[in-house]
Order: sequence, then structure tokens, then C-alpha cells
Amino acid sequence: MNILYALFVDPWVQMGQAPDLLVQTLWEGLVSGVLYALIALGFVLIFKASGVFNFAQGIMVVFSALTLVGLHEMGVPAFLALGLAVAVMFVLAVAVERVVLRPLVNQPDIILFMATFGITYVLIGLGELIFGGNPKRMIADELYLPKGAIDLKILGGFVSLQKIDIAAAVIAAVMIAALAFFFQKTRIGRALRAVADSHKAALSVGISLNQIWAIVWFTAGIVALVTGIMWGARSEVSFSLQVIALKALPVLILGGFTSVPGAIVGGLIIGIGEKLGEFYWGPLVGGGIESWLAYGIALAFLLFRPQGLFGEKIIERI
Amino acid sequence: MRAPGGKDGLVAGDVLLAVDNVSLSFGGVKAITEVSFDIRKGEIRAIIGPNGAGKTSMLNVINGFYHPQQGRITYKGATRQKMRPYVAASQGISRTFQNVALFKGMSTLDNIMAGRTLKMQGSFFWQLFRHGPAMREEIEHRRKVEEIIDFLEIQAIRKTPVGKLPYGLQKRVELGRALAMEPDLLLLDEPMAGMNLEEKEDMSRFILDVNNQYGTTIALIEHDIGVVMDLSDRIVVLEYGRKIADGTPDQVKSDQKVIDAYLGVSH
Repeated sequence: MNILYALFVDPWVQMGQAPDLLVQTLWEGLVSGVLYALIALGFVLIFKASGVFNFAQGIMVVFSALTLVGLHEMGVPAFLALGLAVAVMFVLAVAVERVVLRPLVNQPDIILFMATFGITYVLIGLGELIFGGNPKRMIADELYLPKGAIDLKILGGFVSLQKIDIAAAVIAAVMIAALAFFFQKTRIGRALRAVADSHKAALSVGISLNQIWAIVWFTAGIVALVTGIMWGARSEVSFSLQVIALKALPVLILGGFTSVPGAIVGGLIIGIGEKLGEFYWGPLVGGGIESWLAYGIALAFLLFRPQGLFGEKIIERI
Repeated sequence: MRAPGGKDGLVAGDVLLAVDNVSLSFGGVKAITEVSFDIRKGEIRAIIGPNGAGKTSMLNVINGFYHPQQGRITYKGATRQKMRPYVAASQGISRTFQNVALFKGMSTLDNIMAGRTLKMQGSFFWQLFRHGPAMREEIEHRRKVEEIIDFLEIQAIRKTPVGKLPYGLQKRVELGRALAMEPDLLLLDEPMAGMNLEEKEDMSRFILDVNNQYGTTIALIEHDIGVVMDLSDRIVVLEYGRKIADGTPDQVKSDQKVIDAYLGVSH
């Protein structure tokens, strides 16, 4: 009985007794959720357009952030370095399209998936070669990202909001809205959805696959850069950051591989679920459940909705 | 859509596309061997032959999906060794596929709109704000697309995701998408495959109407010989990747090689 009480009643009692702690936990969950959503978004973009699960998305986050910080270390002014990092992501997108995707067109998806492993290791090698393997500090001040915290006195206690987290949430929201609009309302967006559905039909109406792929990889590169800046500002820029890409997996399972809104909602559910679970239920098993809880949540969803929350229903006539 | 003798300066009866001595092989398998024929402006040209004769490969060569190892293609007076799909599309070659290749998740309307991709020139900036020139352009394209929807009598399924439609209607939507490109040359790969008699009659009527009203040149592959004989002006017959006959329906019908290919020869 005690276990049942601890599992099903006590956490809710705690939440009721200390609402400020609850709000604080929710806020932290929300922020990491937004960042998960950003990473997942990078995957979704590329998966939608080319059907490829891009294993290199994690390293793209590191590589773009590293380029930014590394260039600044070499004496390039912060905003020029930002511009150059964008340019580098553009070059990378064009190169990937030219060297990897184009020669492998029409190959099975698994081949392309393996190719993204190749891209991962090329980027790790290049990054270490040019900028070295040591962790670096994100140039948050130079980019005028806010720092410090806002303390709110509410609910009989206080809630502390990091300004960088607020900035991250706002920037992510703006970027997601812009992307959603881009894909729904423009000619390129329509072409992109067309490519996602059928390569040969897209070709036959004169859509250039090469151009679309370059655009998509470039967009995913920009998303990676923003993600890198935000994660980097919260910790530091190092190659270990790429494992956060693994955090995107449960988000994708939850949200559906093909859905931008899915990536966002999935990210938020995972982020908030993780923090709440860790804080209220974690002590029951001695803590440390944050690292696997996301997969548990995703698995539970998978049982009921294999296409994810917002994934495209697979329409098949037989 | 364009009247015959449009901006390409060709009038009905001129050679629009010529395939000259084309050979295509995949590894050691020869799909097409030294085939030559032409398609004249304004005609309906059929490509027929038994299964595996290389008909679809021929269409794929014409719109640039396959690149022949040998031979030349002359389109609107320009000769090249191979086409590229993008070039073919932008120069007015559009097509449908044997096994329907539609954008399944998108509505009928969006599918046909996608056919107008190349016609949309508006700047990206204005499209983002759905305003000014981009808005006028979008409205103009929508008008064209509605025209096609009326023409093909598919008003009722305008908003339906095409993956949910029955096969016959999917074929019709695919034709609509091809028409939205305002093609000079329309390639139809088995437009009536898997259809019942009524659907075949509808499709035949659409093909004839496209040809009559808009003067669009059509090259089609079809297995239903009755339909082919009724529709086409000239027929080219392939067997095992080689051309065995070329001419009017009457000529082809009485050609001994064609009869042998279809009915078999006693040895």
C-alpha cells in the first residue's frame, strides 16, 4: 500500500503543497522541451524532404556552434563570425547535396542513412582539425544574449527564470513559426512537400530535387546553428553536445517523423515529462530516471499511435 | 493553354520531337535498340508493343529520366544526347506514369497546383507575405487550375487527399497535374490501365479534347488496341526494344510483323 501511495498520491500532494516548486519544474521542463523541439525539427526537415534519417544532425549542431566560437577565437568579430557560420552551413548543404545525395539518388533509404554516418565522422574530423577538440565557451555576451535571472515572487515562494532560457524559448518560437509559414505558404514549400511524397512525380513537374535538397539541408543547418548557440550558452561547446541528438529520438517517435508541429509538441511533452518525472517520481527509485524516462514515454505513445501524434496517416489502398 | 503554332514557331504537322537511333541498356540488358521515330506537332502518337518491349523506357528517355548510351533526341529543333527532367519540364514536356505518381498526402487542388511550379515566377519575398504581385499571381494560377478541374470534371474531389481516391480518379488527377504545366508535348503512360469501360471512355474523351481544344501534342502508351486504333493518328510498334512498325492505324493493323508479335508465330 505504501508503494502505491508513494507512486500515485504523494507526488500530487507535494505538487499541491509547494506550487512554486511545481511552476519552477514546469518552466525548466518547458525550456529543455523547446530545445529538444529544435533538434527534432532539424531531423524532421530532412526526413520530410528526402526520407533520410539524418544521423549527422547532432554533429551539425556542434559543428556550427564550433565554427562560430572558433572563428571568434581567431579574432573575427562576433556578428561577422555568426554570418560566416551561416555561410559555412550553406556550403555544407551544397556539398552534401553534390557529393552525397546526388550520387546516391534512388538508392534505398538505409544506404542514405549510412551515408549520414559518414557525414558525421567527416564533420567530427574537420571540426577537431580546424578548431581543436577542447570545449569552448559560447560567446553569449558578444552576441548580446541576456544573462542573469528574473526572480518572481509568486505562489507563496519564488520562481527563478534564467533570462537566457526566456531568450531561447522566444527565438525558438519565432523560428518555428517562420519555418511553418515557409513550408505552408510558399512555392518552395509546396515543392518541398511534393518532393517528400514522390521524387519522380516532383521531377516530372519540373521541381529540381538538387535545389530542394540543398535548401532543406541549409535550413536544417540554420536550425542546428541556433540550437548550438542556445545549448552552448547553457553549458559549453564541445563534441559531447552531439549526444543531445539522441534526445531527439523519443521526441520524433512521439511527434511523428514528418510533422513540424509534432516535433514541437513532442519536444514539450518530453521536456516537461522528464523534469516532472525526475523531480517527483525520481526519488522513489533513487533518482537518475531523466535519461531514460523519455524513451518510456515515447514507447507508451508508440503502442497507441505508431505514426506519432501528428505523423501522416499512412493511406494505403489495397 | 496554347493554340497550335505557339511561341515555339512550329505549326501543326512539323516535327516536334525526333528520336534518332536511340539505344538504352541497363548493364547487359538491352531495353531499347537503335530506335528512331518522330512526333509531329498536333498529333496523337501511340507507342504500342507487348510487355517488356521498351515502351516506358522510351518515354523515360524522352523526358530525361533515363539517359541513352547512344543516339540523339531533337526537341523543338535543338538536338541533344540526353534530356534532363528539369529541362524537359521547363521546355514543355509533361507526363503521367504507369503506376500513378501523385503527391498522396496533398489534396487534388495542391497536386494540380504543383504542376504550375515552373510557371510561378513571383519573388520569394512577396510570397512570404502573401501580398502584392505574389497574391495576384497565386489568384491567376488558381484560376487556371480551376479551369482544369472543370475540364476534367473533378470539382467534387477538389479538397480530398488524393491517396484516398479510387484509382480511376487518381489517373484523372495525374492528367490534370500534367495539363497544369500547359505542355507542348504530353506523354501518357498507359492512361487507361486498370479502368473499366466507362472510365476508359471518359479518359478517351479527355485525351481527344485536350488534343482538339488546346492543340497539345500527345504521345501515349496503351495496351487496349481498340482504344489505340481509335485515338491515334500514327502508331509506332516496339518489340524486344526494336521498332518493328510505324504508320497509321490501318497500316499497322495489317502489318504481318505486328500480327506476329501480338499473336505469336508458329515455328
